[in-house]
Amino acid sequence: MLEIRNLQKHYGGRTVVNIPNLTIRDGETIGLVGNNGAGKTTLFRMLLDLIRPDGGEVLSKNENVAATDQWKDYTASYLDEGFLIDYLTPEEYFMFIGSLHNLSAAHVADYLKQYEEFFNGEILNRGKYIRDFSKGNQNKVGIAAALMQKPELLVLDEPFANLDPTTQIRLKTLIKSLKATHRLTTLISSHDLNHVTDVCDRIILLEKGVVIKDFKTDENTLKELEAYFSE
Amino acid sequence: MLTTFLDHQRKAFWRSRNKAGSIAAQIVLVFFMLYFLAVAIGVGFGMTKFLPKFFPGQDAIVSFNGLILYYFAFDFIMRLQLQELPTLSIIPYLHLKIPKRKIIQFLNIKALFSAFNLWPFFIFFPFFFIKIAPAYGVLTLLMYIVSVLSLAVFNNYLVLYIKRKSIANISFTVIGLAIFAGFAALEYYKVISVMAASNFVFSKLAQYPYIGFVFTLLALIIFKINSTYLRNNLYAEELSAGQEKKVSTDYAFLNRFGRVGELAALELKLILRHKRPRSAVFMSFLFLCYGFIFYKESVIAKNAFGQMMFAAIFMTGISIIIYGQFMFAWQSAHFDGILSNKINFKDFIKAKFLLFTISCTIITLLASFYGFISPKLLLLHLAAYLYNIGFGTVIVLYLATLNYKRLDITKAASFNYQGTGATQWLLMFPYVLTPILLYVPFGIMNKPYLGLMVVSLFGLIMLLMRGFWVNYIVKRFEKQRYKIAEGFRE
Repeated sequence: MLEIRNLQKHYGGRTVVNIPNLTIRDGETIGLVGNNGAGKTTLFRMLLDLIRPDGGEVLSKNENVAATDQWKDYTASYLDEGFLIDYLTPEEYFMFIGSLHNLSAAHVADYLKQYEEFFNGEILNRGKYIRDFSKGNQNKVGIAAALMQKPELLVLDEPFANLDPTTQIRLKTLIKSLKATHRLTTLISSHDLNHVTDVCDRIILLEKGVVIKDFKTDENTLKELEAYFSE
Repeated sequence: MLTTFLDHQRKAFWRSRNKAGSIAAQIVLVFFMLYFLAVAIGVGFGMTKFLPKFFPGQDAIVSFNGLILYYFAFDFIMRLQLQELPTLSIIPYLHLKIPKRKIIQFLNIKALFSAFNLWPFFIFFPFFFIKIAPAYGVLTLLMYIVSVLSLAVFNNYLVLYIKRKSIANISFTVIGLAIFAGFAALEYYKVISVMAASNFVFSKLAQYPYIGFVFTLLALIIFKINSTYLRNNLYAEELSAGQEKKVSTDYAFLNRFGRVGELAALELKLILRHKRPRSAVFMSFLFLCYGFIFYKESVIAKNAFGQMMFAAIFMTGISIIIYGQFMFAWQSAHFDGILSNKINFKDFIKAKFLLFTISCTIITLLASFYGFISPKLLLLHLAAYLYNIGFGTVIVLYLATLNYKRLDITKAASFNYQGTGATQWLLMFPYVLTPILLYVPFGIMNKPYLGLMVVSLFGLIMLLMRGFWVNYIVKRFEKQRYKIAEGFRE
């Protein structure tokens, strides 16, 4: 699905990301962990062609993301509020995103019905613009809009942050079920080790832009990670 | 306490992130301020001369008295649109051990620091000293001063009160201006005369100076009402703008343009739902009056289109210039979203062209009332229009790819120079000079209509080449997008 080759990014002489080689296969759910400044968001931004790498390339289905637009057809992402058009109502935003993927208004409405539980009655028909919602609810809008695109590759930056516990659990269930039904490939970064180990089948640990651990999750993973971070 | 507040305000101003913006913007701002001050002083001193000319056969003092209420009516409307509520700045203090009384005092004093409260000094005072003082003596002079300042204070707090109650919105201002124009028209046709009323009030002031305190009383009353209201509602969420229910909208007329239309609709919503772009639109309409300054009879008679070209380009292209100068930056808050979503850059750029073309067409149609002055002006506007949509759009979008400054569009517009850089000022040169340079040779050869044709033809050719320009801008955009996105993230 994704292949990273010699990817590098420096800011002011400091290396933020330096990944010689990393391959992500179809259907994997990857958890990206690391302390602040480890380069998680920078890596995601390069995956999404939002930052120009200083060296190397990201191949999505063997195509360089910086050179083509093909990957946008099957990639959905939500990194931060910068992805939301905050002066729209959530309904308008979903319609807009839907229209980019040729979904009719009826389709979008239909799709949103599935997520009534996820929204917990707090998103739709509230008569507010997105900018007037709390951060947690903005996150919900962003995540739901990403999922609505029926992606093959999903990129979420700290999706559990700001969400209430119920929604965190619902999101985990959602990702797991999408993986089973659609062979969805997911990249999640998180500071919540419990959630990542629970939902992901492969963990990549970043430190100062370098991959220092990359392994399949098993029952010992959580302990291992806790040990690493408490050092 | 109060001094501490003011000290914090001063720091907030000087340390604000975007204040440094660019030195050029600051300098230009200073020049604008000086210019307006000079104009105000000029009007103030000139009134002794102008008034008898404008109102022949009338004593200057009578005309002056007549205009005072008009001034404050206009002042009121402009304040409604432009004056800011000093609210947000108090949030960090609300939970601290500071008496509410003090916070209200601070808010009230801060509200006085408005340019609107400065103009009366320059506009009225010269006339007071030159004409009123010799005619009626010192006491009347003092009472005139008291009255005018009281009226300014009255307007100041009344507008704040109205804004706090969030009764006002933009339609309020537009209606206000319409009523104002209506009264002016009635005045002109001598149906109802506000001037007479105003003169009546102020000539009474000359007779019985102490009635000037009535204005002071009014000002005190509104001040009190305002303070009481503040005292009872000192909650940040209640003091800021009122919450009305937001609804989803759909612009059906844009649907025919497919995906491009959708993106244009998105941008239209952006304009209508934010204060800063909305004021920009409002300003565009104000600039429609620009022609009255430039289109003089003598100039029109001589067919000196070169002299009028600037005004024509500026008026018909104002929406392109004002909105275009911050192009892409309007969307800086969700620029990452635009890049990472499945949006074709070509559609994205085409949407901009579409929006420009529509707005420019509307403004040009509105400006066609100048045809009543002289039909020649319509030809001039046509040339300017073709130039604007043909080439002006290209210039603006080209320069937009060089603009990396983030813009916070939720902030107010007036005297907000965030996001302003050298690009914005440089924009004007190629934009306005190109058509003038095209015209000038024909102007010199005394072939004005040929000149207009050349400008039109140029615009038309560029318009026909739009496909090429779109591709060109898209290429630039693709090259520059990382830099733009990076700038917007800061």
